[in-house]
Amino acid sequence: MTEAGDILHISQRDGVTLVRLRAGAVRTEAEVEALGRGLLSVAEVPGQRVVLSFLGVKHLTSLVLGQLVQVQKHLAESGGEIRLADIAPQIHEAFTITHLDRLFKIYEREDEALAAFAEDAEA
Amino acid sequence: MTANPPKTDDLGAWTERVLPTSLTEIRGTERDVLMRLRELAYDDDHLFAVRLALEEALVNAMKHGNHSDPTRSVRVSYRISPDRVEIRVVDEGPGFDPSQVPDPTADENLDKPCGRGIMLMRCYMDKVEFSPRGNEVFMVKCR
Repeated sequence: MTEAGDILHISQRDGVTLVRLRAGAVRTEAEVEALGRGLLSVAEVPGQRVVLSFLGVKHLTSLVLGQLVQVQKHLAESGGEIRLADIAPQIHEAFTITHLDRLFKIYEREDEALAAFAEDAEA
Repeated sequence: MTANPPKTDDLGAWTERVLPTSLTEIRGTERDVLMRLRELAYDDDHLFAVRLALEEALVNAMKHGNHSDPTRSVRVSYRISPDRVEIRVVDEGPGFDPSQVPDPTADENLDKPCGRGIMLMRCYMDKVEFSPRGNEVFMVKCR
Protein backbone atom coordinates (compact mmCIF):
# COMPACT_ATOMS: atom_id res chain seq x y z
CA MET A 1 0.00 0.00 0.00
CA THR A 2 1.32 3.43 -0.93
CA GLU A 3 1.58 5.62 2.16
CA ALA A 4 0.95 9.37 2.18
CA GLY A 5 4.55 9.81 3.33
CA ASP A 6 5.73 8.20 0.11
CA ILE A 7 4.01 10.94 -1.86
CA LEU A 8 4.14 13.99 0.40
CA HIS A 9 6.69 15.78 2.57
CA ILE A 10 4.91 17.85 5.20
CA SER A 11 6.47 20.59 7.33
CA GLN A 12 5.40 23.71 9.23
CA ARG A 13 6.41 27.27 8.34
CA ASP A 14 5.16 30.13 10.53
CA GLY A 15 1.80 28.56 11.20
CA VAL A 16 1.31 27.39 7.63
CA THR A 17 1.54 23.74 6.62
CA LEU A 18 3.92 23.38 3.68
CA VAL A 19 3.35 20.26 1.61
CA ARG A 20 5.75 19.20 -1.11
CA LEU A 21 5.08 16.39 -3.53
CA ARG A 22 7.93 13.88 -3.51
CA ALA A 23 7.11 12.27 -6.82
CA GLY A 24 7.44 13.86 -10.26
CA ALA A 25 4.01 12.51 -11.08
CA VAL A 26 1.11 11.07 -9.13
CA ARG A 27 -0.42 8.52 -11.46
CA THR A 28 -1.43 5.20 -10.03
CA GLU A 29 -4.68 4.83 -8.17
CA ALA A 30 -2.71 4.02 -5.00
CA GLU A 31 -0.62 7.18 -5.38
CA VAL A 32 -3.66 9.36 -6.03
CA GLU A 33 -5.43 7.87 -3.01
CA ALA A 34 -2.33 8.33 -0.85
CA LEU A 35 -2.15 11.96 -1.96
CA GLY A 36 -5.80 12.47 -1.04
CA ARG A 37 -5.36 10.75 2.36
CA GLY A 38 -2.28 12.81 3.15
CA LEU A 39 -3.87 16.13 2.22
CA LEU A 40 -7.13 15.32 3.99
CA SER A 41 -5.20 14.42 7.15
CA VAL A 42 -3.58 17.86 6.98
CA ALA A 43 -7.00 19.39 6.43
CA GLU A 44 -8.37 17.74 9.60
CA VAL A 45 -7.08 20.70 11.64
CA PRO A 46 -9.83 23.35 11.53
CA GLY A 47 -8.80 26.57 9.79
CA GLN A 48 -5.60 25.01 8.51
CA ARG A 49 -3.66 27.08 6.01
CA VAL A 50 -1.79 24.93 3.52
CA VAL A 51 0.70 25.62 0.73
CA LEU A 52 1.14 22.76 -1.73
CA SER A 53 4.29 22.95 -3.83
CA PHE A 54 4.36 21.18 -7.20
CA LEU A 55 8.10 21.67 -7.60
CA GLY A 56 9.45 18.92 -9.88
CA VAL A 57 6.00 17.67 -10.85
CA LYS A 58 5.83 17.21 -14.60
CA HIS A 59 2.53 15.45 -15.04
CA LEU A 60 -0.88 15.10 -13.42
CA THR A 61 -4.37 13.99 -14.31
CA SER A 62 -7.93 14.96 -13.52
CA LEU A 63 -7.86 12.43 -10.66
CA VAL A 64 -5.31 14.61 -8.87
CA LEU A 65 -7.29 17.76 -9.67
CA GLY A 66 -10.33 16.08 -8.14
CA GLN A 67 -8.41 15.26 -4.96
CA LEU A 68 -7.27 18.89 -4.66
CA VAL A 69 -10.83 20.12 -5.10
CA GLN A 70 -12.02 17.80 -2.32
CA VAL A 71 -9.28 19.02 0.02
CA GLN A 72 -10.04 22.67 -0.74
CA LYS A 73 -13.72 22.09 -0.07
CA HIS A 74 -12.95 20.31 3.20
CA LEU A 75 -10.61 23.09 4.34
CA ALA A 76 -13.03 25.85 3.37
CA GLU A 77 -15.71 24.33 5.63
CA SER A 78 -13.50 25.10 8.65
CA GLY A 79 -12.18 28.45 7.41
CA GLY A 80 -8.95 26.99 6.04
CA GLU A 81 -7.46 27.18 2.59
CA ILE A 82 -4.94 25.46 0.34
CA ARG A 83 -2.81 27.56 -1.99
CA LEU A 84 -0.67 26.18 -4.78
CA ALA A 85 2.85 27.04 -5.93
CA ASP A 86 5.71 26.00 -8.23
CA ILE A 87 3.38 24.74 -10.94
CA ALA A 88 5.02 23.98 -14.30
CA PRO A 89 3.49 25.94 -17.22
CA GLN A 90 1.94 22.85 -18.83
CA ILE A 91 0.25 21.86 -15.57
CA HIS A 92 -0.81 25.43 -14.91
CA GLU A 93 -2.58 25.31 -18.27
CA ALA A 94 -4.66 22.37 -17.01
CA PHE A 95 -5.79 24.51 -14.08
CA THR A 96 -6.68 27.33 -16.48
CA ILE A 97 -8.57 25.06 -18.90
CA THR A 98 -10.67 23.62 -16.09
CA HIS A 99 -11.12 27.06 -14.48
CA LEU A 100 -9.61 25.72 -11.27
CA ASP A 101 -7.44 28.82 -11.23
CA ARG A 102 -10.65 30.45 -9.95
CA LEU A 103 -10.90 27.97 -7.07
CA PHE A 104 -7.24 28.04 -6.02
CA LYS A 105 -4.83 30.89 -5.45
CA ILE A 106 -1.73 29.98 -7.43
CA TYR A 107 1.73 31.46 -6.85
CA GLU A 108 4.94 31.14 -8.81
CA ARG A 109 6.96 30.01 -5.79
CA GLU A 110 6.17 28.51 -2.41
CA ASP A 111 7.78 31.43 -0.53
CA GLU A 112 5.38 33.81 -2.29
CA ALA A 113 2.43 31.67 -1.21
CA LEU A 114 3.73 31.55 2.38
CA ALA A 115 4.28 35.32 2.38
CA ALA A 116 0.76 35.89 1.06
CA PHE A 117 -0.70 33.88 3.95
CA ALA A 118 1.41 35.94 6.40
CA GLU A 119 0.22 39.19 4.81
CA ASP A 120 -3.40 38.04 5.02
CA ALA A 121 -2.95 37.20 8.71
CA GLU A 122 -1.55 40.69 9.40
CA ALA A 123 -4.33 42.44 7.50
CA MET B 1 -19.82 0.43 -34.31
CA THR B 2 -16.55 2.33 -34.11
CA ALA B 3 -16.05 6.08 -33.77
CA ASN B 4 -13.57 6.02 -36.64
CA PRO B 5 -12.69 2.63 -38.12
CA PRO B 6 -8.97 2.12 -38.65
CA LYS B 7 -7.81 2.40 -42.24
CA THR B 8 -4.60 1.31 -43.89
CA ASP B 9 -2.59 4.37 -44.87
CA ASP B 10 0.82 5.94 -44.37
CA LEU B 11 0.37 6.10 -40.62
CA GLY B 12 1.42 2.45 -40.49
CA ALA B 13 0.14 -0.43 -38.47
CA TRP B 14 -1.88 -0.13 -35.31
CA THR B 15 -0.41 -1.37 -32.05
CA GLU B 16 -3.18 -2.94 -30.00
CA ARG B 17 -3.13 -3.85 -26.32
CA VAL B 18 -5.84 -5.41 -24.22
CA LEU B 19 -5.52 -4.20 -20.64
CA PRO B 20 -7.18 -5.60 -17.55
CA THR B 21 -9.22 -3.02 -15.67
CA SER B 22 -6.53 -1.79 -13.29
CA LEU B 23 -5.02 1.69 -13.31
CA THR B 24 -1.57 0.21 -12.71
CA GLU B 25 -1.83 -1.36 -16.19
CA ILE B 26 -1.81 2.07 -17.83
CA ARG B 27 1.89 2.69 -17.37
CA GLY B 28 3.16 0.12 -19.89
CA THR B 29 1.07 1.61 -22.69
CA GLU B 30 2.01 5.12 -21.65
CA ARG B 31 5.72 4.23 -21.64
CA ASP B 32 5.53 2.71 -25.12
CA VAL B 33 3.66 5.67 -26.62
CA LEU B 34 6.03 8.20 -25.03
CA MET B 35 9.07 6.23 -26.20
CA ARG B 36 7.81 6.31 -29.79
CA LEU B 37 7.05 10.01 -29.59
CA ARG B 38 10.56 10.70 -28.31
CA GLU B 39 12.07 8.57 -31.07
CA LEU B 40 10.27 10.81 -33.56
CA ALA B 41 11.47 13.93 -31.72
CA TYR B 42 8.03 15.20 -30.71
CA ASP B 43 8.44 18.18 -28.36
CA ASP B 44 7.57 18.31 -24.66
CA ASP B 45 4.21 19.99 -25.25
CA HIS B 46 3.10 17.14 -27.53
CA LEU B 47 4.39 14.54 -25.07
CA PHE B 48 2.49 16.19 -22.23
CA ALA B 49 -0.72 16.48 -24.27
CA VAL B 50 -0.74 12.92 -25.60
CA ARG B 51 0.22 11.43 -22.24
CA LEU B 52 -2.52 13.36 -20.46
CA ALA B 53 -5.22 12.51 -23.02
CA LEU B 54 -4.21 8.84 -23.15
CA GLU B 55 -4.27 8.56 -19.40
CA GLU B 56 -7.61 10.36 -19.08
CA ALA B 57 -9.15 8.10 -21.75
CA LEU B 58 -7.87 4.93 -20.09
CA VAL B 59 -8.91 6.05 -16.60
CA ASN B 60 -12.38 6.94 -17.92
CA ALA B 61 -12.66 3.56 -19.66
CA MET B 62 -11.67 1.64 -16.53
CA LYS B 63 -13.46 3.65 -13.85
CA HIS B 64 -16.57 4.95 -15.60
CA GLY B 65 -16.84 2.54 -18.56
CA ASN B 66 -15.99 -0.76 -16.92
CA HIS B 67 -16.97 0.47 -13.44
CA SER B 68 -13.60 -0.81 -12.14
CA ASP B 69 -14.78 -4.38 -12.80
CA PRO B 70 -11.57 -6.48 -12.95
CA THR B 71 -13.27 -9.08 -15.16
CA ARG B 72 -13.66 -6.49 -17.93
CA SER B 73 -10.92 -5.29 -20.27
CA VAL B 74 -9.99 -2.12 -22.10
CA ARG B 75 -8.66 -2.26 -25.64
CA VAL B 76 -6.25 0.51 -26.60
CA SER B 77 -4.90 0.94 -30.13
CA TYR B 78 -2.45 3.53 -31.35
CA ARG B 79 -0.32 4.43 -34.33
CA ILE B 80 2.23 7.15 -34.51
CA SER B 81 3.82 8.78 -37.53
CA PRO B 82 6.26 11.70 -37.67
CA ASP B 83 3.36 14.14 -37.92
CA ARG B 84 0.32 12.51 -36.35
CA VAL B 85 -0.75 10.40 -33.37
CA GLU B 86 -3.98 8.41 -33.36
CA ILE B 87 -5.33 6.64 -30.29
CA ARG B 88 -8.44 4.54 -29.87
CA VAL B 89 -9.73 3.31 -26.47
CA VAL B 90 -12.65 0.90 -26.15
CA ASP B 91 -14.20 -0.33 -22.92
CA GLU B 92 -16.72 -3.08 -22.22
CA GLY B 93 -19.23 -0.87 -20.45
CA PRO B 94 -22.69 0.24 -21.56
CA GLY B 95 -21.39 3.54 -22.93
CA PHE B 96 -22.53 7.07 -22.19
CA ASP B 97 -23.64 10.28 -23.85
CA PRO B 98 -20.76 12.79 -23.70
CA SER B 99 -23.16 15.67 -24.27
CA GLN B 100 -24.78 14.87 -20.93
CA VAL B 101 -21.57 15.31 -18.93
CA PRO B 102 -21.96 18.50 -16.89
CA ASP B 103 -19.68 21.41 -17.71
CA PRO B 104 -16.98 21.22 -14.99
CA THR B 105 -16.21 24.92 -15.41
CA ALA B 106 -19.73 26.03 -14.49
CA ASP B 107 -19.87 27.78 -11.12
CA GLU B 108 -22.09 25.08 -9.62
CA ASN B 109 -19.65 22.33 -10.67
CA LEU B 110 -16.35 23.99 -9.94
CA ASP B 111 -15.96 22.34 -6.53
CA LYS B 112 -17.03 18.89 -7.71
CA PRO B 113 -14.22 16.31 -7.74
CA CYS B 114 -15.09 14.68 -11.10
CA GLY B 115 -15.89 15.58 -14.70
CA ARG B 116 -12.70 17.23 -15.96
CA GLY B 117 -11.14 14.35 -17.90
CA ILE B 118 -13.11 14.75 -21.13
CA MET B 119 -12.59 18.50 -21.12
CA LEU B 120 -8.83 18.03 -20.80
CA MET B 121 -8.83 15.45 -23.61
CA ARG B 122 -10.70 17.83 -25.91
CA CYS B 123 -8.39 20.74 -25.09
CA TYR B 124 -5.09 18.91 -25.46
CA MET B 125 -5.91 16.83 -28.55
CA ASP B 126 -6.84 18.11 -32.01
CA LYS B 127 -9.73 15.69 -32.42
CA VAL B 128 -11.75 13.68 -29.89
CA GLU B 129 -14.70 11.62 -31.12
CA PHE B 130 -16.90 9.20 -29.23
CA SER B 131 -18.76 6.33 -30.85
CA PRO B 132 -22.56 6.60 -30.86
CA ARG B 133 -22.73 4.13 -27.98
CA GLY B 134 -20.09 6.09 -26.11
CA ASN B 135 -17.86 3.18 -25.08
CA GLU B 136 -15.15 4.10 -27.58
CA VAL B 137 -13.10 7.23 -28.03
CA PHE B 138 -10.87 8.11 -30.98
CA MET B 139 -8.30 10.88 -30.56
CA VAL B 140 -5.86 12.59 -32.88
CA LYS B 141 -2.93 14.86 -32.14
CA CYS B 142 -1.17 16.52 -35.06
CA ARG B 143 2.35 17.85 -34.96
